Amino acid sequence: MPCWGETMKLTTKQLTLCAVLTALALALSYVENFLPLSLAVPLPGVKLGLANIVTVFALYALGVGQAFLILIARCTLGALFAGNLNALLFSLLGGLAAMAIMALLSRSRRLSIYGVSVGGAAAHNCGQVAAAILTLGNTAPLYYLPLLLGVSLFTGALTGFAAGILFRALEHTSLMKA
Amino acid sequence: MPMRRSPEVHPKPADALVALAVLLLAAALTLTVWGGNKSGGLIATISVNGQVAKTVDLSRLSGPEVQEFTANGFTLHVRLSSDGAEVIDSTCPNQVCVHTGHISRAGQSIVCLPARISVTLSGGTANGVDAVLG
Repeated sequence: MPCWGETMKLTTKQLTLCAVLTALALALSYVENFLPLSLAVPLPGVKLGLANIVTVFALYALGVGQAFLILIARCTLGALFAGNLNALLFSLLGGLAAMAIMALLSRSRRLSIYGVSVGGAAAHNCGQVAAAILTLGNTAPLYYLPLLLGVSLFTGALTGFAAGILFRALEHTSLMKA
Repeated sequence: MPMRRSPEVHPKPADALVALAVLLLAAALTLTVWGGNKSGGLIATISVNGQVAKTVDLSRLSGPEVQEFTANGFTLHVRLSSDGAEVIDSTCPNQVCVHTGHISRAGQSIVCLPARISVTLSGGTANGVDAVLG
């Protein structure tokens, strides 16, 4: 294994894993469209945030650097596939805010994957509302934020649960062993 | 490839602190955004592309009226009445503005991101109290 120095040199295995995780995150974002949470909760930006499972996993398993690469690739490709570059600002601000908070929270040994994931989901909503404020040019979207934060408690716990299952399953394999 | 840090996969007591912090932030925002119940009539401000397109003093309306706003290729019909506002129909793809429904309190907003149109209520509430008991 290379040292995790200031220059990020990826081994072929790491690069491949990053690529697979990026594809997985894109697929999860797509699948999410078929589970329209926004029909139950009619708020703009309400979704399960399944792609966040990938960010949580990458953050713990690969570290901030590679998690960041996966996030940028996912947001850029997602916006390109959707043919909507306006969506890039939303997913980037949301995704970066979520990753910054989760990178911070995951340093604490007192927090489980649930606390980290809920913090990330809440930060994701804050980032998206910030993007909406930038797009719209006024602070009207702020009105939705308290409700979005309430919903993020549930969606965050759900993605934390899913990522937890993933980690427990991987413990029985040799995939993540040295 | 070794796991850099293996996470705690069962909930811990400190997780409740994160949830509490999120709830506190939501509560603080609610107070900030929904606060400011000044006396006077409700005013609806319709913004298009970040610019105020129209300001309507709802208490001075003689009756409900429907106004049309068009921006970025989408057309919205906004129904304004003395007790609030709602988007009755829109040609935008996600219909979030229509699903938001009727708004009636100062601080509430309807946002249509595809059309970049927003309707915000400000000023005092038409009915200053939620309920009178006793």
